[in-house]
Amino acid sequence: MQDSHIVSSFDRDLEGVQAQVMKMGGLVEKALLDAAEALELRDEALAGKVRAADQAIDGLEEMIQTECARIIAQRAPTASDLRTVLTVMRLATALERSGDYAKNLAKRSLVLMGMAPVGTATGTVRRMAKLVVQQMSDALDAYIARDAVRAREIRARDQEIDQMYSGLFRQLLTYMLEDPRTITACMHLHFIAKNIERVGDHATGIAEQVIYLVEGELPSDDRPKHDAVSESI
Amino acid sequence: MNDMRIADRAVDTHGIRIKASAVQVYYGESHAIKDVSVDILDKAVTAFIGPSGCGKSTFLRTLNRMNDTIPICKVQGSILLDGENIYDKRVDPVQLRAKVGMVFQKPNPFPKSIYDNVAYGPRIHGLTRSKAELDGIVESSLRKAALWNEVKDRLHAPGTGLSGGQQQRLCIARAVATSPEVLLMDEPCSALDPIATAQVEELIDELRSNFSVVIVTHSMQQAARVSQKTAFFHLGNLVEYGETSQIFTNPKDPRTESYITGRIG
Ligand SMILES: Nc1ncnc2c1ncn2[C@@H]1O[C@H](COP(=O)(O)OP(=O)(O)O)[C@@H](O)[C@H]1O
Ligand SMILES: [Mg+2]
Repeated sequence: MQDSHIVSSFDRDLEGVQAQVMKMGGLVEKALLDAAEALELRDEALAGKVRAADQAIDGLEEMIQTECARIIAQRAPTASDLRTVLTVMRLATALERSGDYAKNLAKRSLVLMGMAPVGTATGTVRRMAKLVVQQMSDALDAYIARDAVRAREIRARDQEIDQMYSGLFRQLLTYMLEDPRTITACMHLHFIAKNIERVGDHATGIAEQVIYLVEGELPSDDRPKHDAVSESI
Repeated sequence: MNDMRIADRAVDTHGIRIKASAVQVYYGESHAIKDVSVDILDKAVTAFIGPSGCGKSTFLRTLNRMNDTIPICKVQGSILLDGENIYDKRVDPVQLRAKVGMVFQKPNPFPKSIYDNVAYGPRIHGLTRSKAELDGIVESSLRKAALWNEVKDRLHAPGTGLSGGQQQRLCIARAVATSPEVLLMDEPCSALDPIATAQVEELIDELRSNFSVVIVTHSMQQAARVSQKTAFFHLGNLVEYGETSQIFTNPKDPRTESYITGRIG
């Protein structure tokens, strides 16, 4: 429904929160890429910046939630307007959580900088982060385009991230078994990988919200899950 | 499997109070209601919404033959109340209106006492045999209309002396005094302030436990608040009819969507 409201300030309200969510998305994507880069290149300054930048993400989230609450109270949105406001609120929550994971990644990378590197794991982590950021940015594009078809494709792609995570998990297990001195570093790397995988889940969640926004219902079919971790433990 | 289906169907039919099929209404040449079919459920509030002039009031009035009083008005199709055609020649419209009561937009108490306003229906329909029985009906009707506590000490004061909200509840008491099965309300809150509106809405929700209530409202929020079923009318057509929660979160028809989200359709 792209027609405008009779009350035009309602359109401005909705456009305003949506613009803020997109801004938040940009900040979160940058934080993840920077954190992964800092980890691989052992760039202390960059990791520090990511940690500091999380405040701006949290601030935006709070602003969006407050604004959405005001819209609900003042405009009593219905139908696709209601779904838009609910979607914006859920997107903001997902992005805020993802921002926290980026900050945590930066913190752990600072710790890891004081330890010997473990094989090629940080390179794999960075590739995984890039893939997740791509998912996130595709999901946000699908949101702006109100494109449920693309959202379904994005949702199906989450498997790739899960598989990468499982591969990294097995790699880290091997390092730890071979050389117990790497255990601390590997545990940090494992948490980092797990957190990136969770960001992937948030990207999938955003794609699912797009389906809800467009079709009025969340997809009910369970997406395929190949979890090698449960088998290897 | 089969048994299940039969059982489901039995429950469904049990819930229907009024079954309107292929209803057409004409005012002279003008086609005001176009082929409307709808099932009105028992013990539920059904809201009719839609832009001014779309035919909400016209269709509501077909449900108790109020249109009979408009000479140029012609109604076709069938309307069954508990399975009986209300347009059958043997049906007495006055008796029908005791079963299908109506409350109007502007509170219109008779220029009589509060007591007489409520006692009016039971008296003309000869529903009571004694003063005590009539007193009982007046009290229980005023209680059902959530007005008893406010008027019990002045039952013989004129009904027109009450506040707007009280007058509307008096009209509701008058409508329920004949023990109707269905209550039709045409924009019952549009002349009331927000507090009186909230009281009438609360009352509508209580009435649901005993009656089937059909309410025409131009307030979408009111429809969303008080009803379980919503019907959206547009240019004489019933565009969409469904669960109120579905209509307000996920309407199927783009015309419904445009209307309830306040867009130019
Ligand atoms: N008594 C009447 N005589 C002629 N036309 C009428 C009469 N009542 C309503 N109409 C016409 O029928 C259409 C539906 O009106 P109505 O049922 O009052 O709509 P609503 O209640 O949705 O505002 C309108 O075009 C209106 O002008
Ligand atoms: Mg009307």
